[in-house]
Amino acid sequence: MGQGNVVEISGLTHDYGEVVALKNLDLEIPSGITGLVGANGAGKTTMLRLLLGLLHPTAGTISVLGADPQTTPLEVRAKVGYMPEVDCLPKDQTAADFVAYTAQLAGIPSREAKRRSSETLFLVGLEEERFRYLGDFSTGMQQRVKLAQAIVHDPDLVLLDEPASGLDPEGRVQMLNLIRRLGEFDIDIIVSSHVLTDIEQTCSWVVMLDAGDLLRNGPLQGFDELGTVVVEPVTNIDQLVQAIERRGQEAVRDNRQIVVGPGGHEIEEAVVAAAAETQSGLIRMVRGSSSLEDLFLQKDGTS
Amino acid sequence: MTDQVIYDRGYRKYDGPRTGPSGARRAVYKDGLRRVLGLGRKARYKIFPWVLITIAFIAAAVFIGIHWAIGDIAESLGEGVPSYGGLFDFYSAIALLFIAFSGPQLIIPDRTKGVLSVYFSRPLTVDGYLTSKLNSFVTLVGAFYIVPQILLHLGLALIADGGFVPYLSANLDILWKVPVTALAFVALHGALIFPLSATISRTGIAAAAFLGILTAGSGIAARVAEASFAGARWASLLALDQHPRIIRDRLFGDTVDYPAEIAGFEWWVSIVVIAVLAAIGGVFVRQRYRRLA
Repeated sequence: MGQGNVVEISGLTHDYGEVVALKNLDLEIPSGITGLVGANGAGKTTMLRLLLGLLHPTAGTISVLGADPQTTPLEVRAKVGYMPEVDCLPKDQTAADFVAYTAQLAGIPSREAKRRSSETLFLVGLEEERFRYLGDFSTGMQQRVKLAQAIVHDPDLVLLDEPASGLDPEGRVQMLNLIRRLGEFDIDIIVSSHVLTDIEQTCSWVVMLDAGDLLRNGPLQGFDELGTVVVEPVTNIDQLVQAIERRGQEAVRDNRQIVVGPGGHEIEEAVVAAAAETQSGLIRMVRGSSSLEDLFLQKDGTS
Repeated sequence: MTDQVIYDRGYRKYDGPRTGPSGARRAVYKDGLRRVLGLGRKARYKIFPWVLITIAFIAAAVFIGIHWAIGDIAESLGEGVPSYGGLFDFYSAIALLFIAFSGPQLIIPDRTKGVLSVYFSRPLTVDGYLTSKLNSFVTLVGAFYIVPQILLHLGLALIADGGFVPYLSANLDILWKVPVTALAFVALHGALIFPLSATISRTGIAAAAFLGILTAGSGIAARVAEASFAGARWASLLALDQHPRIIRDRLFGDTVDYPAEIAGFEWWVSIVVIAVLAAIGGVFVRQRYRRLA
């Protein structure tokens, strides 16, 4: 996929009877690797199923790769790969057979499907095991097969629902490396996860959901600007706090440290100016709160 | 020492032709055939279907052998040696086992193993999926009924006194009677096994329920039909397995009195019963899978 948005959503609402899963969302997702984060029940899987046209929105419009999944679901699904969170592998089939079969389901001719099955299983590190039955696979290997079936047909966009779910730490790292690698092959990816560090390690764009509400939608580096800065002055701590506050920044003394922010790079500028004004030498000044998890806990973001 | 290089093949883009939804349906159809026949699966999955297929073929061969031993087809038929209609009856029990095995195999594992979530993320509709599964079922079970009949037909032609070609040309009606009879069996049994398989999560239980409805149900229906209360005769129609047999007897001229015939129903009522059951079964399965998708 080249430039532009892979997904555009406007006024999207979806409910399951009385339970509202997504509430009036407006967002655009650009090319690249996007993280869809939120706690369990935040609406991540619902959104992925809406993008595939498997669910119909209660209100609003969706565009995936320029097509409407509600009116032309087959056109969308031909260009999208999907890795479900749930178990979805037939245990009595070999990995090679299953992945080739899913390629044929996406319209790849039989002979080419077999060739691509082998290549894709090689890519995910299962070249030696491809003729083994899926019932004999470990959880990590099964996750790799699920990833392989999602990309075997050369989709323009891949939707990964909790791809690292159930994996041990080593398996999790390998899966995240694989996802990053797919991004290098110019495949657009939307990764759903409730593990924020996974998103931080793999994504360039983040969509944050909380109980159906959109908390934030933007580039990952932009999230840094909502962090705080920890300052440790040599002297004149209270005067420095007042000087920082006079420059419009929130500052709280914590023993011999001052926590400033949250905010962007204007914090550092304000601290330096205030330190010069109050003759307070600075031992250190570091960004303290910058992780997605902090931001998620704050829940004060707006898109 | 040789220079060795590990090549990273990376990810290859595909810009060749794509077959679209029709290719997806074809893939499901072929997978259905392979699944039932155990192809691409462990040896234990192959045993049951291939034993049944072998028995069906052996039955046809035995029939040909009996006719050949007697030497005259007309004479052997006169002595009660079964022919086309009889062959249907002879291996109907085997066919029931094959259907009880194949129907659940086609439907249940996809649903219980969660594979549907992958299928329906591809350019494949619920109707396309179910139609492909039905086509697999009709192909397999239809072939199970028809191929031994073709063998019997060709075998009888080979041993016919008048010669191979004259026998075939004198019995052209077999070419439509056998498929129509097979279709009646397939439609009735499919109308039962598909809804059961769409509801029950274990293949063995679905198979047992199918066989139970046909065997026990037929016996109970026959008993109720003999009762004296008003409308009891309608219960005779619930002996479901009789309906394709009534059609078969009508086509091949055999005469066996089934409960519905004893109760006074015409043969065409069996066609209506099969059609209604097939329609109800189809709607039920479609609705169920629309909720699952």
